[in-house]
Amino acid sequence: MEFTLQLAFAGVCVGSAYALIAMGLSLTFWTTRTLNFGQGSLLMVGAVATVALLGAGVPAVAAVALAIALAGALMVVAERVAIRPLLKSGDSMGWVVSTLGFGLFLQGFVAKFYGSQAIAFPSLIFTSLDFVDVFGIQVSAQYLAVLTLSVALMVAMEIFLLRSAWGRAVRAVSHDADVAALAGIPVRRVVVLSFVASGALAGVAGVMVAQITGTVDPQFGFNLMVLGFVAAVFGGMGSIVGALVGGIALGVAEKLAGGFISTAFGDAVAFAILMAVLAIRPQGLFGRREMTKV
Amino acid sequence: MLEVTGLVVRYGSIEAVRDCDLTFDAGTITAILGANGAGKSSLMKAISGLVPAAAGTIRIDGEDITALHAHRRARLGISHALEGRRLFHSMSVDENLRVAWDFRHRGNDFKTASDRVFERFPMLATRRNTPAGLLSGGQQQMVILSAALIHEPRYLLLDEPSLGLAPVIVQQIFAAISAVCRDSGTTIILSEHVAALALSVAHQAYVLKQGKVVRKGAASALAVDASLSAAYLGG
Amino acid sequence: MLRDKLAVLSDARFIFALIIALGVAAEFVSGSTVQIWSFVLINVLIAQSINVLTGIAGQISLGHAGFLAIGAYGSALLMKSLGLPLPLSLVAATLMGAAAGWILSFAAGRVREFYLAMMTLGFGMISYEVVREWTGVTGGVAGLPGVPSPALRTLNVFGVNLGEIGYFHLMLGVTAIVLWLLRNFITSPYGRAFFAIHVSEVAAGSIGIPRAGTKREAYTLSAALMGLAGGFYAHLVGYLGPESFHLHRSVEALVMAVVGGLGTLSGPVLGAALFTYLPEQLQFFTDYQFMVYGLILMLSFVLLPRGLAGLVLPRTRFIKRLTPLRSADADGRGTEAPAAIPARDDETTPLLRVSALAISFLGLRALDDVTLELKPGHILGLVGPNGSGKSTLVNVISGIYRPDAGRVVFEGRDITGLADYRVARLGIIRTFQDPRLVPGFSVRENVLLGAHRLYRQNQLAAAVDWPSALREEKRMLAGADKVIAMAGLSALADSIVRDLPYGDQRMTELARVLLADPRMVLLDEPTAGLSEGELKKLALVLQHLKQQDIAVVLIEHHMEFLRDLVDEVVVLNSGRVIYRGDMAGMYRSAQVIEAYLGGDSHAAAPAGGQGGRDA
Repeated sequence: MEFTLQLAFAGVCVGSAYALIAMGLSLTFWTTRTLNFGQGSLLMVGAVATVALLGAGVPAVAAVALAIALAGALMVVAERVAIRPLLKSGDSMGWVVSTLGFGLFLQGFVAKFYGSQAIAFPSLIFTSLDFVDVFGIQVSAQYLAVLTLSVALMVAMEIFLLRSAWGRAVRAVSHDADVAALAGIPVRRVVVLSFVASGALAGVAGVMVAQITGTVDPQFGFNLMVLGFVAAVFGGMGSIVGALVGGIALGVAEKLAGGFISTAFGDAVAFAILMAVLAIRPQGLFGRREMTKV
Repeated sequence: MLEVTGLVVRYGSIEAVRDCDLTFDAGTITAILGANGAGKSSLMKAISGLVPAAAGTIRIDGEDITALHAHRRARLGISHALEGRRLFHSMSVDENLRVAWDFRHRGNDFKTASDRVFERFPMLATRRNTPAGLLSGGQQQMVILSAALIHEPRYLLLDEPSLGLAPVIVQQIFAAISAVCRDSGTTIILSEHVAALALSVAHQAYVLKQGKVVRKGAASALAVDASLSAAYLGG
Repeated sequence: MLRDKLAVLSDARFIFALIIALGVAAEFVSGSTVQIWSFVLINVLIAQSINVLTGIAGQISLGHAGFLAIGAYGSALLMKSLGLPLPLSLVAATLMGAAAGWILSFAAGRVREFYLAMMTLGFGMISYEVVREWTGVTGGVAGLPGVPSPALRTLNVFGVNLGEIGYFHLMLGVTAIVLWLLRNFITSPYGRAFFAIHVSEVAAGSIGIPRAGTKREAYTLSAALMGLAGGFYAHLVGYLGPESFHLHRSVEALVMAVVGGLGTLSGPVLGAALFTYLPEQLQFFTDYQFMVYGLILMLSFVLLPRGLAGLVLPRTRFIKRLTPLRSADADGRGTEAPAAIPARDDETTPLLRVSALAISFLGLRALDDVTLELKPGHILGLVGPNGSGKSTLVNVISGIYRPDAGRVVFEGRDITGLADYRVARLGIIRTFQDPRLVPGFSVRENVLLGAHRLYRQNQLAAAVDWPSALREEKRMLAGADKVIAMAGLSALADSIVRDLPYGDQRMTELARVLLADPRMVLLDEPTAGLSEGELKKLALVLQHLKQQDIAVVLIEHHMEFLRDLVDEVVVLNSGRVIYRGDMAGMYRSAQVIEAYLGGDSHAAAPAGGQGGRDA
């Protein structure tokens, strides 16, 4: 029983990171109806850049901040090069392939200039050996930190969207970009900002997951991105609550399957969930059916 | 005064507006009439900046705004209510007003501005926190109108505001339109497929057919003109 | 210039000679060259596989390596464990791939756009995980060694020990046959149907092309090619490991097809050759492979949308080189397309009867108690303000929406709720507000799509150029020439539709409708954007339809156009029929005037426009 609870809790924590990834993916979906199929590489850049900067002697907080800023900046490039020119064509194939290519390019770049071996990611908050007692269960302090941080970020995002002028602007652009422009909202700037935020969130998520797993390599992030897709789709594309529910459900399912059957099986379960949701109920739990005029 | 000169609007290879000249005097209501596909909506979108002008110029008080993006023109004082009652359905009435306010206000506070809105349409005051998507068609149109007026624009473009609304509600809305022009001196450009409706409040009118201006004149003169139906029904 | 010089590359005789030359040359070149050529052939199959699914049918696939794995492990294991001889194991690999594609299409066919991309990504990763974990069968991470292969002289076909050259000859022959079959298929109505689905599933349905079934075909065919490639690959390398089937393999397949040219026949061959040679010749390439692939994928859709083939090679044809059958050559069947109009016994039997149709969207009544009738050879004008339900009515009749209440009866048969492609197959053809043509097709190729519902040949006959299939195509080509002439497009028959002005595109769509030999035609705002001359042509075509006893429904705002053409007009307002009768009466109808002009309740106010009056 203790084992199950420990797994479940680990699943909740890991799931909160998936939720954060899903939220990062959703940001660009809101403003442009696109998803970055290379988001995994931004997760990786966040983690690798942190390690590189730490290795260069930069203090921890600055290193993480710079890495996250880098990830955000890269998304500005992605928007300009991989998304904007391809929105004209009307179907999604162009930007899907293009963003995938962007991610691959980053992956190749890091592998070539930084090395394709796995690198150790140092403990920034607590160590992997720190444990905390929660309701009688021994829980990893790092996991707990990830959970707290993820939830805090999601709450902050929710408040931003609901209460601030720019948050309203994002929702307005998401709903109807024409009406938003006519209301004086600088749509282009909102789009770029949403991309920066998406990249930054990916960077944060990358650092958090690297913290838990302890290592990072150029492929790191790809699987996470797909898991982020699953969480986003399962919860409903574009819904923060959905991302949280989807992410946690996915995390728990993955950990339980992994603990009782095998870790690889955990991955397979996630992909199977993705295919099932897409085939049966593509709008997910909290999403809305998009109606198109024939 | 708003001047449109030699305007051409193209969608791909189709010309929706072909070389149109129109003038809108300050403080007046102008009706734009014509059948579906005549170019009324395209004309308005070109004025507000939502679609680019393939040729021609648009001037406000002598200043050329043809190259400006839509959101800049919005901040210069042009408000445009699109056809089809488009607003932010998932946001409340209050939030819809706020969005219209956030990027264009010139110093006054939101409370004063929204209070004025609710004075004009008291039925919205009780529904300020209702999601706009749940309101009736007439109430939604009131929200759209209020949002368009909340920052006291100089120019207001309304694309078929009466579409799908009951006559009683339409009367209310048109009364409000007249009042706005009278009280605030806002220049109003109004397109309607129900010609008599627009002509009942307008000072002057233009008739479009297949992208060109075919008639123009005082609203009262056009209202009794039998040949107007020719533009619509071809009969 | 360059394109003309390279045109020779597409000539069938040149290709045949090239194949023979390669076969002979294999005896004389070095062993490593033969190996590279062998890999090129495998990559040709892989690139064509992606081309069929993504380039032609428009279904993106980011996990295609999964099918490769199925074919590779399938063939290897069947041979190792069951001792199946090579030809059988290859056939099995192909069939296993096909089966996997067929199964996947049930899930994938229901999903579109980036959701499909995610799903295929998931499929690719599941396949990889299965290969990696199912150690008992695939050998897991350690891999599967000892696959019978020509390099080790362990590959035996009917007693003959196949060496590398012999294996190359085998692959060369099979690949050549596969390309021949593909060419036949793409130039057949079934290949063209793939393109139609790609461009617009709804428009394809309107001419009788079923979306789910066609997509299933595309997945099955594509996966079969991949399975075959996998089988060849397994025996070429003699050893299989899961890393050969990871994401980068799927990416490679995509890059080859995209750079070569999606939607063309020769593009994937170019792409395969290029990307098999580059890693060999350029060490730089191998070092920076991911970066190069990434850059290519980022830029190719923008810089090279039609790939290298689009740049330097002549355009792929989607029609066979056949002479259209004139009536003198016919084998007794004549040039008329089959399904002659049956003689009617009762002059006044309506062709279409719509009763009490009602449908609501999100609580809004779009159609309310709509009833109307249409007789053969009658033209009905359907008019009304924006949002009155005209398009919705046509959508319900043509099978895109199922009504909440009411019935649609056509030729005495209840077709309410029937799927759109079935409705089209019964002879009800419709158009849309914007012309939905395949932009890369010529006028003739687009028009031929209209005949889809009339073809009798099956996919197999199409793929092998069976004589009866060719005869049928000749008849269809003759029919196409006729309708193209009727639409005044004869001079433009081979022009690419995307380069044509809007009016000509509209006429092409009209010609497509004519070739479908319809019993009833529903046209959605056909006059929009047409010039005076084009309107005259349209009117002539409509009169021709009338003479053929074909019923026509015209959604229109252009009253002058309708006036001399329609027998009857139905006016809709807010989903209800407010007038039914002739046009003269319509102008006098108080209700219509109210809907369009506003009538008494909105009478003009004095000059200056000071507010409205109370209702």
